[in-house]
Amino acid sequence: MRGALKKFGVGLLFATTMLVGAASAQDVQLMNGVVPRPGDDRKTELDQFKKDGPWKIGMSHFGVNANTWTVQMAHEAEAAAKLDPRIGQFILLDANISQAKQVADIEDLIAQKVDAIIVTPLTPTSADAGIEKAVAAGIPVIVHTGLTGTDKYTVDIQGGGEHFGKVMGDFLVKKLGGKGNIWVLRGLPAHPEDINRYKGLQEALKGTDIKIVAEDAGKWQYDTGKQVCETFYLNNPEVDGIWSSGADMTRACMDVFQQYGAKIPPITGEGNNGFFGKWIETGIDSIAPEYGPEQGAAGVRAAEALLEGKQLYKRYVYEPDGWDIEMAKKHYRPDLSANVWFPTSLSEADLQKYYGKN
Amino acid sequence: MSAKIAGTRIAGVVSARDSRHGLWFLPLLVGLIGGVALAATAADFATTQNLLNLAAQAAPLLLVSIGQMLVVLVRGLDLSVGSVISLSTAILSIDAPATVTIPAVFVMALAVGLVNGVAVTRFHVHPIIATLSVTGIAQGITMLVRPVAGGTIPPIVTVLVNGEFLGIYMPLIWVVVAILAGWKLIHGSRFGLHLFAIGGGDTADTFGIASRRNILLAYVACSTFAALAGMFLAGRIASGDPNIGTQYAVDSITAVALGGTQLAGGIGSLQGTVIGTLLLSMLANGMNLLNVSSFVQTAIKGLILLAVIAIQPRKTIGL
Repeated sequence: MRGALKKFGVGLLFATTMLVGAASAQDVQLMNGVVPRPGDDRKTELDQFKKDGPWKIGMSHFGVNANTWTVQMAHEAEAAAKLDPRIGQFILLDANISQAKQVADIEDLIAQKVDAIIVTPLTPTSADAGIEKAVAAGIPVIVHTGLTGTDKYTVDIQGGGEHFGKVMGDFLVKKLGGKGNIWVLRGLPAHPEDINRYKGLQEALKGTDIKIVAEDAGKWQYDTGKQVCETFYLNNPEVDGIWSSGADMTRACMDVFQQYGAKIPPITGEGNNGFFGKWIETGIDSIAPEYGPEQGAAGVRAAEALLEGKQLYKRYVYEPDGWDIEMAKKHYRPDLSANVWFPTSLSEADLQKYYGKN
Repeated sequence: MSAKIAGTRIAGVVSARDSRHGLWFLPLLVGLIGGVALAATAADFATTQNLLNLAAQAAPLLLVSIGQMLVVLVRGLDLSVGSVISLSTAILSIDAPATVTIPAVFVMALAVGLVNGVAVTRFHVHPIIATLSVTGIAQGITMLVRPVAGGTIPPIVTVLVNGEFLGIYMPLIWVVVAILAGWKLIHGSRFGLHLFAIGGGDTADTFGIASRRNILLAYVACSTFAALAGMFLAGRIASGDPNIGTQYAVDSITAVALGGTQLAGGIGSLQGTVIGTLLLSMLANGMNLLNVSSFVQTAIKGLILLAVIAIQPRKTIGL
């Protein structure tokens, strides 16, 4: 009887520990829509990285000024760090779209003995060596907005680029009835997010009669996107739909069609204020998959949670549903510039400071 | 009497200025002051780990700059070094054995150097135009071989770059070997002497120096050093990257000029180039430690190049 009770007690303690552990990991809300990756229950240990403040957190950003989204993602990270008084120093290093600089930046962060490193990799290999060195030095590493070849990181938040691309691809397949010609405007060449979004498109097009008749990199930029779209249009304006890997390029392409007085075909967008304005104004057929720059803040929140000693899952995914025009109307801010992206966790003061029209 | 002493002093200064080694002690002084200032302001600057990081960060620029210096000594400039670096990483990332890709990198470097050298010596094309044209060709081939960053680098290359040998960090060995090779080429060989003579005036041929052949060899050596830098970078990032060399043409010219080598040719020293390279690398590393924006870093590098070039009158340089 005593033995049975003892076994029951041990079992109860084990179950409670497991439940509490699971609850601890689940309690940490990194960002709306970010959830533990299904089928992967690996977690950090409780108190594994616990440290008293003030903390020194470093971030290696693949390229702050690559486009307006990357700028805002950096603002979101800095703003989230400012909110927490326990963060004594937040060091943001910008690799400026250079793999060699990203390697050096991570080395420099390790040399500064930061308490946690957040990495947004430029390419699937640009941060691997640095991540492995940092983890070996006992520094937790949080990866988001980009893939890595290594799985040595502490926490990974993947925006589901493939899901993003597929949401847009599925939209076009549905709108075109599975048949027609489309243009493809891709993002930054070699960036993992672009590779994944494109994979998602290819997945959506499988088994359909939709053909990609023109494809080029608009680099997620308005200017380059406009040049690419204008070239496509002048070459052959007949197109049934446009798959654009990012909203700045979508706006650019819409402007090209309007410039030539042509009807805008179904085109994919993104959660961007400028695009929302044009979408609402024109009422075109579109969809906005969600990929918020708030991920910058989510990375900081993950670092905070780890340094508080909380338990986090090793891998998270961010694969919400696409937004329709009603959601766009709900979020659209006519008082802010076209460069704001949603969802955002920037305060109203920061939004006005960075993007206010007045 | 005092006028005589003053005259001797002035002559001494002029003589120092005109010496073959250039004004390398000035950047050394700036570097020492900068190093002390960084050690005082950035707590982590003088740590062993950071100094090892600095060696790894400086190694590729040092390799390119030594090559660039050989060309500058003969009144040339090689703008194609960046594309040679990118193409080297692209070739190394091809899915082929290291026994194929590594020799292929050096064959490519030899070809690029020969084209540059022949264009400059045989067809009398201005070095900037010749090497800029070759840049376009090499970059185009790079985009064909590796349009996007990726691929896998032979393990031997990553070990040679990131590993240790007898407990010594490999990038340190690269730095030492590069300096020794550069020293032998520039200050310890007949070839180096000939480069100084060719750059020093138009009379080298009258002393039996084969100017054309030596200039051509300088371009070949420059491309080879750039290929070595590409190999080092490929090992660092463990992949090929079509754009990784972009900054190295300007950075290597800045490092060489910063080290006191005259862009007009004939004057310069390896120690100056090493100091120039270390200064630039220290600047990037130090500003990272001081959390200075990379855009400000780029602007500061540009300002330094402008300041260094401004000291060297355009008419004298011949640009």
